[in-house]
Order: sequence, then C-alpha cells, then structure tokens
Amino acid sequence: MTQTPRTTDARILVVDDERVNVILLERILQQDGYSKVRSTSDAYKAAALYDEFEPDLVLLDLHMPGLDGFAVMEQLESRTPRDTFLPIIILTADIRPEVKRRALAAGAKDFVTKPFDRTEVLLRIQNLLETRFLHLRLDRQVVRQGQGT
Amino acid sequence: MWRRYGDAAYTLVTLAIFGFETLALGWLSLSFLLGRATGIASTRVEGVLLATVTSTASALALLGLYLLTYHFTSSLRDRWHVERLDQWTERWIALALEDVPAEAAADTPRLRRLPRAAVDAVLSLLEVVKGDEGDRLKAVLARHGVDRLFLRQLQKGHLAARLDAIEGLGKARLPQALDPLLSLLQHPKPVVRRMAVRAAAGTLATMAPEPGRDGPGGRFIQALQGASLQPGVVQESLLLLETRAGVVLRDLMAEPDLDDSLRRVVLETTGRLGLADMAEEVAASTVHPDPELRAAAFRALHRLGSVPEGAQASLLAALDDEVDFVRVQAAHAAAFLSAGAVLPALESRLGDASWWVRRAAAASLARLGDDGVATVRRAAETHPDRAARDMAVQVLLETGVLDPAAARLVKGVA
Repeated sequence: MTQTPRTTDARILVVDDERVNVILLERILQQDGYSKVRSTSDAYKAAALYDEFEPDLVLLDLHMPGLDGFAVMEQLESRTPRDTFLPIIILTADIRPEVKRRALAAGAKDFVTKPFDRTEVLLRIQNLLETRFLHLRLDRQVVRQGQGT
Repeated sequence: MWRRYGDAAYTLVTLAIFGFETLALGWLSLSFLLGRATGIASTRVEGVLLATVTSTASALALLGLYLLTYHFTSSLRDRWHVERLDQWTERWIALALEDVPAEAAADTPRLRRLPRAAVDAVLSLLEVVKGDEGDRLKAVLARHGVDRLFLRQLQKGHLAARLDAIEGLGKARLPQALDPLLSLLQHPKPVVRRMAVRAAAGTLATMAPEPGRDGPGGRFIQALQGASLQPGVVQESLLLLETRAGVVLRDLMAEPDLDDSLRRVVLETTGRLGLADMAEEVAASTVHPDPELRAAAFRALHRLGSVPEGAQASLLAALDDEVDFVRVQAAHAAAFLSAGAVLPALESRLGDASWWVRRAAAASLARLGDDGVATVRRAAETHPDRAARDMAVQVLLETGVLDPAAARLVKGVA
C-alpha cells in the first residue's frame, strides 16, 4: 500500500507582488517544516514557475498590478488536467462576498484574509494539502485497478 | 519625468539627442578654433559666436552627463533601499515568528532611532500579520518611539508629515491612535479626513469589542456621524472594519437620528458584505419616506438574497411605487420571495413603462422556478404589450430556456 506523503514534503508556490508578504510566507512555511517553497513577486512569471516546479499548492495574491490573481488562475487552470485537484489559496484584504464568489468560480479553494494569523494560514495549507494527497492517492489506485483488470 | 515606466528608454533617447547635438556643436567649435588659428574667426563678432557655440556644447555635455549619472545613482539607490528593506524585513520576521511572549520583543536592536527602511519594513509587516506576531511588531514600534513620533506628527506636523503619520498609523493599527485619528475627522482638509477615517477603521478592526457608546465602536460611530465625508469614503471605511463591520453597521442602523445619506451607505455596505443576519434591520428601511433609501434597502435585500416575511407587504407595495428606481430594486428583490406570493405582481410589471423594471421583473420571474419560467414564456407569446413580449423573449434567451431559433419562432407567433 502506498503511503500518503507528509504534507511538509509538498511543493508550495507563493505568488504575491509584495516582497514583504513573500518573505513572510516563506519564513512561516520554512519554520513549520516546509522545505520545497518557491515564490515570485512577478505575476507574469507565475505560469512558467508553475510548469517548472509543479506545485502541490499555490498561495496567490488577488490584487496585483498588470496580471491579477484572477488572470493567473486562468493561466494555471489551462495548465492543469481537468481531474487534478490543485488547491489555490487566495491571499486578500478584500472581504466582499462578490470577490470571494468570483475567486471561487475561477478555481480558488480557500481564502486567507490579510492581515492573517500564522496558525490559521498553516492549518488551511495543511488541510488542503491533505485533500490534495488523498486525491493523488485515489488517482494512483484507480490507475492500478485499471492495469489489473 | 522620473520613476515611471520607460524612464530607461527616455534617458537613452535624451542622451542620443544631446550626444548628437554635442558632437555637432563640438565639431563646429573645433572648426572655429582652427579657423581662428588660420584667421577665419578673427573679428570680434566671430569671437562671440565661437564662445556661444563652445559654451552651448559644454552645457549639453554636462546635462547629458548629469542625466546618465542621475539614472545610474537612482538605480543604485533603489537597489540599496530594496536590500535594506529586505534585511530589515528578515530581521522583523525573525522577531515576529519567535515563540516568545510579546513583551520580550522589546529586546530589539538598541538603535536610538530606527532608520526609514526599518520603519517601512515593520509597517508593511503589520499590514499582513496579526495576533501574537503583530503584537511583537507593535512592541518594536513602542520601544523605538515610532508610535509617539507618529502621534506627535498627527497633531503638529505639516500636511505631508501629517499624511505620512496617518498612513503609518493606519498600517500599524495601534489602539492608542484611534482617538487622535477620530479627532482628525473634523479637519478642514478632505484628504486628511479621508485618510484618517480609513486608518481609524483599520485600527478599530483589530481592537477588542466593547459594547456601549463609550466603547471604541461607539466613538467611531459618533465621529462618523459628525464628519463631512463622501459616501464612497464612508463605505470604504466600513468595509475596512472587517469582522467588526457587522456590529458597527447594526449599531449605526439603530441610531434614531442617523443622517439619510449615511443610512443609505450603511444599507449599501450591509448588502455588499452579504450580512444576511441583518435582513430584518435592512427591511425596516423599505418603508422609508425617502425613495433613495427605499431603493437602497431593496437593493441590499437583493444582495443578501433574503427578504424577511415582515417585508413582504412593503415589497409588493413597492412594485407599484411611483418612483421607477424603487420598482426596479423591488422587482430584483422579489426573486427571493415564494412564487405564489409574488408571481402575479411581477407578471403585471412586465408591462411597466420603464425598461429597467420590465427587465428586473422578467429576470426575477425566471428565477422563481418552473411557474416563473412558464409565466415569462406565456408573456413572450401572449402579452398584449410588445415591449413586455420582447423583454420576456430576451430573458428566456439569456437564461437558456430558448435558443435563438425558438426565440424567433416565439416572436413570429406573437
């Protein structure tokens, strides 16, 4: 039986135009044991970094100059196979329901409202990573069963 | 001219032009000098001309050099500032994420006064973190007297310094800054009032709730009522209250002497924030004598996606309101009543004189399940008013009930 990987083994991509936020999130994640963290403060580089790094989870700022979070999600969606569960957590200070609805429709799975609480961020990340790994495990089992028959 | 996109290209073009002119003038100067040696520039007039050309060439060369140096040093300075900012950010993050009590944060580097980059870094971080981490960073500000400096500048500084201080306090969200910020809502300059109310709202959002008019929320409400602020600014500040918005909005709505324009903003914000548990309070304004307020109340109910039972009668009455924009908002909100209660009233609005009311009525009918869709379909085919038939067809098309071919057929039948 294949073991589900530890969540701290996950690859996490951070996309935020504010360098302070990027550095802060990197440190929070590193301190909690996540060693595979990549980040960019240039939204235009997010898609290329996604292709290269193949993250298990994306932390994405919504309001960025030029290419905003919605546009980045569109780019990522076109690169992600339909049945793949890619958790995207939105980092935003905008609490309006219509913004949240739009982000959810665009593929976001959860929100972290700025200013955020470290424990809350880590718990949300952990929960979504557990779901991601269960999806991957299920996919592998389906493939194995398909090969067996 | 500087610090915009394309400034590098601008510098290159300017240098190319200046360089070309300098070369041409330099060559001219040289020719004159050589000519003087051979007797060409021998008269007094030629001498003056030679001096003019030479000085112009030198000035252009100097200006070109200045541009190049400015651009170079400016980039260098920017890079240095970013590096300093990153260093201080790392330092403050390390401090903020340490598992030590907030009081221990006072043991920060013993600098008499924090450099600008250090203050910028800690303020940027305070915009992002809260809880124990935020408290540790606030302790840094107190330790180095940054909070006191900002508070002093709020009262005494000139305008630019005062605005800087408001911005800084808005990021820091220090409880002790709430009252000084609220006092600025009476400032004669609108920009000061605007920035102060935003900073005060952000600060209030992080403070522990205290009931009553003397609590922070109560003081905020009183200051807001006495201030001259644009409705958009008030709405923005109410949105910045984050999780405290519900309590403040409810208290504002309960104010008996609340100004109509402020009440309208409160209704709009409640709708925008989707505070569905406040539907009853919102519904109370659906019978307000001011049509702007009635419309705002129905718009808010529409956004909340809920119409309390008590507001059903006022909504049905509003569908016949003499003011068209009230009818429009009431028709939108009617989608959240049961079909049985509202269907005939909405059907009659399909023949309204206003295009907007017809559209809202048809859209709401289409959302009322099978009975609503059947009503719109019947109207598309048999309504005596052509405008009503057209609107019904349009909504059926938009909701996918009819495809374009079927829509043409229905129009033909009608």
